[in-house]
Amino acid sequence: MTLARPAGIRPPGLAPLARVARLDLTLLWRNRSALFTVAGLPLLFAAMLVPMKGKPIEGVDGALLQGTGHLAFFVVFAVFMNLVNGLTARREDLTLKRLRGTALSDSEILGGGVLTAAVMYAVQAGALLVLLGAALGGRFPADPLLLLAGLGGGVAVFALLAFAVSGLTPNSDMAALTVLPIMFACMGGAGVMFPLDALPAAAQEALRLLPLSPVVEIVRTAYFGQDFVAYGPHLGVGLLGGWEACARSFAVLAAWIVVGRLLAARWFRWEPRRA
Amino acid sequence: MQTSPPIQVTGLHQRYGGFEAVAGISFDVREGELYALLGTNGAGKTTTLETLEGHRPAHAGTVRVLGRDPHRDRRDVRPRIGIMLQEGGFFGDLTVAETVAHWRGFTPRPRDPDEVIGPAGLADRADVRVRQLSGGQKRRLDLALALLGRPEVLFLDEPTTGMDPEARRATWTIVRDVVDAGTTVLLTTHYLEEAERLADRLAIMHRGRIELAGTVREVVAGHGDRISFRLPERFQVAELPALGGVRAGIEVDGGRAVATYTVTGQGLQAGLYDLLRWADGRRVALDGLHARSASLEDVFLSTAEGADQ
Ligand SMILES: Nc1ncnc2c1ncn2[C@@H]1O[C@H](COP(=O)(O)OP(=O)(O)O)[C@@H](O)[C@H]1O
Ligand SMILES: [Mg+2]
Repeated sequence: MTLARPAGIRPPGLAPLARVARLDLTLLWRNRSALFTVAGLPLLFAAMLVPMKGKPIEGVDGALLQGTGHLAFFVVFAVFMNLVNGLTARREDLTLKRLRGTALSDSEILGGGVLTAAVMYAVQAGALLVLLGAALGGRFPADPLLLLAGLGGGVAVFALLAFAVSGLTPNSDMAALTVLPIMFACMGGAGVMFPLDALPAAAQEALRLLPLSPVVEIVRTAYFGQDFVAYGPHLGVGLLGGWEACARSFAVLAAWIVVGRLLAARWFRWEPRRA
Repeated sequence: MQTSPPIQVTGLHQRYGGFEAVAGISFDVREGELYALLGTNGAGKTTTLETLEGHRPAHAGTVRVLGRDPHRDRRDVRPRIGIMLQEGGFFGDLTVAETVAHWRGFTPRPRDPDEVIGPAGLADRADVRVRQLSGGQKRRLDLALALLGRPEVLFLDEPTTGMDPEARRATWTIVRDVVDAGTTVLLTTHYLEEAERLADRLAIMHRGRIELAGTVREVVAGHGDRISFRLPERFQVAELPALGGVRAGIEVDGGRAVATYTVTGQGLQAGLYDLLRWADGRRVALDGLHARSASLEDVFLSTAEGADQ
């Protein structure tokens, strides 16, 4: 009952992935409370940006600095929270077990869920970018590819963490207990909710190892074209300089992917535990 | 050509923590055969089936489905088998027709929706949300989904539990048709009638072991014949004669004591003769006199009792 497959590793088929995603989206559309988490919460957070417009922080517009932070941490709602809730509920109501009785492979069942989550995240991120550009005086991202790589890395890390955490979550009512601590730690630690300048240097350094922190660093560097990884003034980076500046952030993400994969293989379960 | 049996189980052990749910069982199911695992709750039927479906690896021993390891090679095996879990969840927000439509997308070469919805008796429920179906209707939708991919091997875990007698009979007909079309079926049940009606061969499981296996005739053979009648009012059991050395046992049926002899081998004719002579001599009428071979129920009950002692 692990994710590890001893033999016969084959990539999931694209058509089956799309069909699982279609099922997920149909069900999401019929479940209003899940729909609110996906659409309502980001709206709420986006509204919070408006009063910060025109107040410079760290040398850039406060709304944009905060907005790019949101760009990163929406991955926590759209991917992490959404998948932990969904997988836990489906394990407990035995729909995961039923899906596993079809011709779909394990990676197609789980991958379809990740695809749905990634699509929802992409929609949120796209809408936020438009909002930043159209209403808050933002720009087109300086390095769109780097931005995409950062968001993609975030999806991978938080999807794997979601598999692991759902395995530890006994039922969907308890999901708040397992999800919220991780959510607040990630958001707080990444410096999105409040600045971390006041903390001792060692603490700041440690918080940058949390999984959301590198996503925020990459997203801001890619958006502003300025180095948001190094301390001090955020110097402009050249055409490929952003990737170089973010090397360390990608390394942290890669480490989390390895850790997430191991924890997921260890903790994820397809079936409820019996008393 | 497939030469080895589609389902092979050899020395299967399965444990949950320290508890051994399946304690070393072996059986084969031949191509086109319906094999029933019969047993009380907790006998280990579901555990055996789910191991064959590839939900978990065997703890010890080997299982093969269509010649493959169903857990390790599940990606190759799953498209060729149909699974009706004892308990599997539905998406309650989808209608019957939507559920079938989505499942067709997950199935290579699926049947037409009408080919499964109609026979399952759900044609008039096609646009109803699954959460509004009765337990028996859900069970029939379950069966419809299991048949969607024209499986070579079909696993049915208590397929008729929760159904009314009419639905049960309709389900038996569907299952019989599937077997007649050449599908190999492994079914679990605790309804003796179901096993008697459907099974080409069966195994009686108890506490993780197979106690008896074979055709119904084979399983029942050697369990003797039964002679029974209502105990006459003026007699005590002890006063009844021994027939071929066998003494009467007493059961209660409809508030009346019923004497029952279990005679083995060729003892039925001689036993009856002795009994009738005894009754004649004492001018006793033997109400409800009855002679029959052992039923599956007799064997089932005595197996469970015997194994518990
Ligand atoms: N997931 C599980 N964890 C622990 N014990 C289990 C689990 N599943 C089944 N059991 C136990 O294993 C035994 C066999 O169960 P099962 O295979 O479901 O039997 P059956 O289907 O014949 O009723 C029972 O005693 C049951 O309580
Ligand atoms: Mg069972």
